[in-house]
Amino acid sequence: MPLLGSFCLLLALALTAYCFVAGVVAARRKDDVGFSLAETARRAGIASFLAVTGAAVALVWAVLQNDFSVAYILHHSNRALPTPYKVAALWSGQEGSLLFWSWLLSAYGFVLRVRRKADQELIAIASMVLAGIQIFFLALVNFVANPFGIMDRLVTDGNGLNPLLQYPEMVIHPPMLYLGYVGFSVPFAFALAALITHYPGEKWLRITRRWTMVTWLFLTCGIFLGAHWAYAVLGWGGYWGWDPVENASLLPWLSGTAFLHSVMMQEKRGMMKVWNVWLIFTTFMLSIFGTLLTRSGIVQSVHSFARSSIGAWFVGDCGWWGTKAHPLPYGYPGFLEIAFAACLWFYLKNRKQLAPENKLESLISRESSFLFNNLVLLAACFAVLCGTLFPILSEWVRGYKITVGAPFFNKVMIPIGLFLIFLTGIGPLLAWRKTSVGSLWKNFAVPAGLAMATATILLFAGIKPWADMAHFYSWLAFVVSTLVLATISSEFIRGGRVLRAKLQTNLLVAMGHLMRRNMRRYGGYVVHFGVVLIVIGIAGQAFNLDKEQTMGKGDTLQVGRYTLVGQEYSQDDNPNYASQAALLDVYKDGKFLTRLNPETRVFKASGQPDHIVANHSTLQEDLYLIYEGNDPDTGHPIIKAFVNPLVAWVWIGVIVVIFGTGLALVPNAAQVRSPDPRLVAVPGNEYRPMTPAEAAK
Amino acid sequence: MKRKFQLLVVCATVVVLMGADNHSARYENLGSKIMCSCGCGQMLLKCNHVGCPNSAKMLKQLKAQVDETADRGTGDRDEDVLNFFRREWGMTVVVEPSQHGFELLAWILPFAGLGTGLCLMVLVVRKWRFQSSEINSTNVALDPHFEALREIARRDTEL
Repeated sequence: MPLLGSFCLLLALALTAYCFVAGVVAARRKDDVGFSLAETARRAGIASFLAVTGAAVALVWAVLQNDFSVAYILHHSNRALPTPYKVAALWSGQEGSLLFWSWLLSAYGFVLRVRRKADQELIAIASMVLAGIQIFFLALVNFVANPFGIMDRLVTDGNGLNPLLQYPEMVIHPPMLYLGYVGFSVPFAFALAALITHYPGEKWLRITRRWTMVTWLFLTCGIFLGAHWAYAVLGWGGYWGWDPVENASLLPWLSGTAFLHSVMMQEKRGMMKVWNVWLIFTTFMLSIFGTLLTRSGIVQSVHSFARSSIGAWFVGDCGWWGTKAHPLPYGYPGFLEIAFAACLWFYLKNRKQLAPENKLESLISRESSFLFNNLVLLAACFAVLCGTLFPILSEWVRGYKITVGAPFFNKVMIPIGLFLIFLTGIGPLLAWRKTSVGSLWKNFAVPAGLAMATATILLFAGIKPWADMAHFYSWLAFVVSTLVLATISSEFIRGGRVLRAKLQTNLLVAMGHLMRRNMRRYGGYVVHFGVVLIVIGIAGQAFNLDKEQTMGKGDTLQVGRYTLVGQEYSQDDNPNYASQAALLDVYKDGKFLTRLNPETRVFKASGQPDHIVANHSTLQEDLYLIYEGNDPDTGHPIIKAFVNPLVAWVWIGVIVVIFGTGLALVPNAAQVRSPDPRLVAVPGNEYRPMTPAEAAK
Repeated sequence: MKRKFQLLVVCATVVVLMGADNHSARYENLGSKIMCSCGCGQMLLKCNHVGCPNSAKMLKQLKAQVDETADRGTGDRDEDVLNFFRREWGMTVVVEPSQHGFELLAWILPFAGLGTGLCLMVLVVRKWRFQSSEINSTNVALDPHFEALREIARRDTEL
């Protein structure tokens, strides 16, 4: 199997290289030979998918067969590992995850090449660009990080999978994240292809619209599955720690979100063409940069299961070689520099085709709200990038690394995030081209009134924004969330009322019709609604409580309104791990609520401990218990209890976001068009606008 | 209107700055800026690593430092506590850049980025508006038929 896998990887590289070279030649020749070459390039691209699939299957098969002669399998699996986690070993280490990256990219390329009928010329060039990216990753897995490397000695059992990864969500979290990272290659390839071929209009945006949304959705799911995994497994009571690898996934998500908004400006008004092209270029490069951060270990991260020195292949290297007496400088570019140079070259060469068709007419307009939204999203992206890379900058300038962690990001990102949410509330109230202040105020008055009412009610309910910044931001988040919910609702109600009168039906049915007529717009509002729910969930963090205590049988621990009483303590042992668990009765306000059993495990292959959190989750709050270990003096378990308000709304919000994106992907219902009263029928079953004289009549 | 707005801003600032300044709040605040140095990668107050060789000592030092600096004016006392931990446990132990010297750059850059972007955007928008007003003043009125068709297209493609 390792031999077959290695052969498949080499074959895939050869086929992809052919796909790229033949694609370049075909693009330069517009004759029959060029057409035939383009077809062979397409088929080579399809065949490369089969070859990479063969390599991936060979690796998974070898893992399932416990073939510890393969170094990668020895380091990431063992005999006692349950089968689903053996399959997950494909993406649990560097070599395997790079193979997985290549496989996903070839799968996206396969779909693109098979469905070429949308636009053969554009897809041929996009396929060539994808092949260029694929060459880089296949070169990495063939020559730098080969997953089929053979051990020089025979071993009977492997080191096992990192225990933190032995959790059901970890079987799907990395694939989701990778589908997101890799998926941005497709709109990138189309944007570059459109630039290379001087492709007119916005067709490339229409072809890639669903690709981009699906990719964004995968990335969103990947990020939140990771957050949920951190909450359920890492046992520190939170779900987002601003770790560099977490930040790496947020960067393309932020720029991708900006792109999803700004493409509407180009589709609707022919504006921001340069901006959109560079936004998708940036998003793609940030995806690659995220892969670099995850894989290279250039910044300190808790995701330490994937560190190596492959960074130079991504960002290049420079320095001195030779002897001290005769040093010689050297330097070579990495993939990111080459990709940036290619983007810049084709942009400078063909930038005339990106001239805007319209200009902004008013600062109070939907267009300017999109501009602001893009600016704030990119500012957030820049802030995350600054904080993530500042330790490296500090090392260059001062000679030592500093740590930039959650307190910094919270201080910088919360105000930016709240401003962004505020814009989410204002945007839908503005009309395209120009909105009068009177009309804005008319639409804004009710949502603003509701937000003010919420602010006052929260003060009376006991929230003290003056207590500290966390309480102030939390209070502000609730107020701004109310504003956004009110504007979204008013959009649905206003549109529903118009249709209700037209269709002679009730408001709910009318709102359903409204959605079906413009799924993208109203699906987008549902996504915004989900984002608001997530913000509400995050705002609850300001009121978190926690307490730690040694708990013997019958001992009690009081945290918030909950009382925990120690009942039983047990130990277990199986081939994979040894475990200790506590059984605790939970009382809320003196009434029995439930029984929880937090657990701690020590995995035998690695000797690494892991916490199995016991969580009682309600819409109001989570009671989150961790078995931290045993007191060295008494031997009794140490239990840490957290009360985390509103966390469930984060996960509900994500489900709403997924649902909303799904709605936005559904095509609009076909509309039966009745002739516009301002049009006049002319021969040939067509209409023309009325002349002023006809209109006056 | 302008006066009312100014008054509102002043009131909001006063409300925010009225934050309780007590011992335990400082202890919690500073503890959430210091990392446990045992290698567990967790904040000092969140370290759930039983038998941790460092967290107990660090927590003791934190309490002592908070007590020691309690009588000083608000000025740089928190920064002094953080500097104590930087000296004792290394530069990477504090997870927030200092607000002095080179590290101040980390705080400035994100907002400078936002400010620069905002200024550029205003400049671009002004340029666009200037250009469109020039076009409007020099061109003849737009064809009403064309405008009517465009309006229908706008309505039909409303996003």
